[in-house]
Amino acid sequence: MSPIGLIALLIGIPSILLLAYVFARGTVGLRRYILTRIGLTVPMVFILATLVFVVMRVLPGDPVTSAMGPKGTPEAIQRVREQLGLNDPMPVQYGRFLWGMFTLQFGNSLIGGHRPIVDEMSERFPATLELVIPSLVVALLAGVLGGALAASRRKGIVDYSLRIYSVVIYSLPLFWFGLMLQLIFGVWLRILPISGRIDPVLGAALARTTNLYLIDSLISGNWAAFGSVLAHLVLPTITLGLILSGVFVRLTRINVIETLQADYIAAARARGIPEQVLIYGHALKNAMIPVITLIGLQIAILLAGAVLTETVFSWPGLGSYLVERISSRDYTAVQSVITMFAIMVAVISLAVDVIYSLVDPRVRY
Amino acid sequence: MKPKSLFSLMTLVVVASLILTACGPTATPMPTAEPPTDVPVVETPTEAAPAETPTSEASATPAGPSTIIIGTTDKIASLDPADAYAIRDWEVLKNISEGLLKWKPGTAELTPALATGMPEISADGLTYTFTLRDGIKFGDGTVLTATTYAAQLNRLLTVGPGETCPNAVASSLATPYVKSIAAPDEKTIVFTLTSAIAYFPQILAGAPYVASDPKTFPADKCVLFPTAPIYGVGPWYIKQFTSGEQIVFEPNPYYTGENKPQVDQIIVRDFADPQTMSLAVQNGEIDIAWRLLGPELIGQLEAVSGLHVGSVSGGSIRYLIINHAMKPMDDPNVVKAVASLIDRDEISDTVFGGKVSPLYSQVPPGFLGASEAFDTMYASPNPDKAKEYLAASGYTEDKRLALELWYPPEHYGASTAAWMQVIEKQLESSGLIDVELKPQEWSTYLPALVGGKSYTAGVLGWFFDYPDSSNYLDPFVYNGGQGTSVTAKETGSINGKPINETAAKLVDLLTKADTETDLTKRTELYKEAQDLYAELVVTLPLFYEAEHVVFHDNISGITGLASPETLNIGPTLEFNYFTLSKK
Repeated sequence: MSPIGLIALLIGIPSILLLAYVFARGTVGLRRYILTRIGLTVPMVFILATLVFVVMRVLPGDPVTSAMGPKGTPEAIQRVREQLGLNDPMPVQYGRFLWGMFTLQFGNSLIGGHRPIVDEMSERFPATLELVIPSLVVALLAGVLGGALAASRRKGIVDYSLRIYSVVIYSLPLFWFGLMLQLIFGVWLRILPISGRIDPVLGAALARTTNLYLIDSLISGNWAAFGSVLAHLVLPTITLGLILSGVFVRLTRINVIETLQADYIAAARARGIPEQVLIYGHALKNAMIPVITLIGLQIAILLAGAVLTETVFSWPGLGSYLVERISSRDYTAVQSVITMFAIMVAVISLAVDVIYSLVDPRVRY
Repeated sequence: MKPKSLFSLMTLVVVASLILTACGPTATPMPTAEPPTDVPVVETPTEAAPAETPTSEASATPAGPSTIIIGTTDKIASLDPADAYAIRDWEVLKNISEGLLKWKPGTAELTPALATGMPEISADGLTYTFTLRDGIKFGDGTVLTATTYAAQLNRLLTVGPGETCPNAVASSLATPYVKSIAAPDEKTIVFTLTSAIAYFPQILAGAPYVASDPKTFPADKCVLFPTAPIYGVGPWYIKQFTSGEQIVFEPNPYYTGENKPQVDQIIVRDFADPQTMSLAVQNGEIDIAWRLLGPELIGQLEAVSGLHVGSVSGGSIRYLIINHAMKPMDDPNVVKAVASLIDRDEISDTVFGGKVSPLYSQVPPGFLGASEAFDTMYASPNPDKAKEYLAASGYTEDKRLALELWYPPEHYGASTAAWMQVIEKQLESSGLIDVELKPQEWSTYLPALVGGKSYTAGVLGWFFDYPDSSNYLDPFVYNGGQGTSVTAKETGSINGKPINETAAKLVDLLTKADTETDLTKRTELYKEAQDLYAELVVTLPLFYEAEHVVFHDNISGITGLASPETLNIGPTLEFNYFTLSKK
């Protein structure tokens, strides 16, 4: 089974089970909501894919000429264009693209080896997944804990510092922040690797099953590789995670402050429950509901951030692949990756909404 | 234990392991490089670095003496010799396999590789006969015979131009020249050419002519990205190929040639961004950074202690394509005026900090008969002479020449706009020319420029397919000349119909040089041709770039070979990994 197939199974089956569970146990309103969301996802992805298809062709530039350079003869360029179907009428190309999307085959790349896009995405997608999940964890840990801490020290130096942090970190250009971390921890202190997913030598010996190196190294019991993968994850995930944490700090802070003013908190305080327990045990839990909603919204930003992070850290994921293919006008690759990102955002947003209904039974759709 | 406590404990363990791993003594452990168990162990040359005992402990450097890590931002487009055409593709192919001839490392001097000697050439120059060395084997132990080799080379003529070889350019180094490739016996290979070509041995030394494994590259189709292991008959084989990430080379245990590897493993790592690669070589994640760092980063790395920056005068040139069929460039006075105004030193100094070299002929220094014809003829910058040329064509301060100069803003690096502005300033300094700079996206720009129908003048770069002067002159003169239009494009002949007598003489000289086998006579023909080229200003050469290789103190090439200061990378830009060793 291909790595992408395995990952689809790992993520897809639990998601379907979750949806089925919620669908079976949920209210009529929730069921209707889920069906509506699924119904809306299809045209949303379709519209986005169409938009990308049109934009890529409206922009000047031809992938075959770009790839062959001055040494490509007009005859060879024409032959390859013909071969790739680029001389077909636009509606025919569009139809082919939609069919490819529907069958999840996506066609072949227009440059280099003209490999199937599915194969190329299979190689790259696990790297992106391995980057964005820990980054989200970093963003949540830093954001939620920072927000709660700021709320607990309201109007104090910690609160002001964290508020400034949240604005500054969110405003930092990601590539600059990444570069600074590379310089400090990689070049000056030399305690962390600055590029790639794994030490090349250990990578050469690592058996790849899922292409998720953390999992592959665990499966093979290769602890040196596992440590190396973790070390390589630190700077990219901190870069991406901290940039995203700013929003979570602000949202958590304001929600914890609001929750702390609720009657049940006053009652708990009157019963002598310690302040730390009030904040982290009661207020934070309730303040998390809007944070869950925000996670769904931040997924798109997370993926966009991954594009830059992967480039800065030479992380061989879908983001750096996308940048590479945009510059060479590889229509099919760009369309496929963006469609893939759109499907991911749509599915995760839906999952977040469903989880939201589970976490907060008051929510009615 | 309560679930909450269990969760807290797990979180603690994960966070602690992250911190411990991150803050450990190093981030990169020592390698474990072992030869394949099912093949004989390679005999280590006497000068080789001793192999270290593999260990899983972390160390301060990324890899021990047995492994060398090279970084690059170059991309792989294909690994099939019948299709591969990019510089990186060729580098990989030339390390895992060999052809009948090869260039001596660090030089452009030809020497036999798989052949026992240089070819026997028939009197009419149409037949080249080679005899194969004994005992040539692929990395899996399969013997290479002349029959196999000839059959594989024929793929250049059969599948190379076909649908399964999408890059469609590699075969252009065979189909115009080679009529047939045959093996009359198991030791002999005979090439029959379509016409006598003096530089055919140079073409033969290129990557399209290396021996390929028929089990990996079948006769009926191209296989662009075969599954590793990939074997050739060269010093290395590809043990692992992870697209977009790294290629792992290990010594070919059956290699019988003279280029024996000195380390157990070479890993070539892909980088998306040159800035990251420059940081990676500084912090020791990679031992060598090779292609493409750019002049600014090279300048920074030169100041880093412990790093060496080797400069290889390569064949990568920049020049202006001038369309001689379009106004105002169809006026010889105009093109000569432009040639007289260009100050190449200023471009090099102000934009590149002296990291590129002025180019005074389309043939860069080091190639057969390379001259400085443009400097001799125009001694630019020479504004007075330029004014004379322009005045002769009726241009005055009131009636200024309007000139469009096109360029791709990104394809040749972000500095392109800067040096085009320098050229604009230089041309306008005459007071008789108004320049309009026209940036255009590469894939629109290229066909418009080389098509010869849209742009009056534009920037282009060139890198040789085979290291011979003909490859720097013929393409710009013959058959439309890449948009120069000094010959007509659609004439049915490869040379095309010249636009005037000087162009006709130039075509004649280049045709003679193409077939002249006497090196001295050929050199003279190219010198003469470059004078005519400069007189016509077929193209306007501007500068040539050096390639840079950046490496740590503990990495070295072979001192007995040419150019050890650049790890034995010479004018052919071939990077032979077998020369590398690590202290």
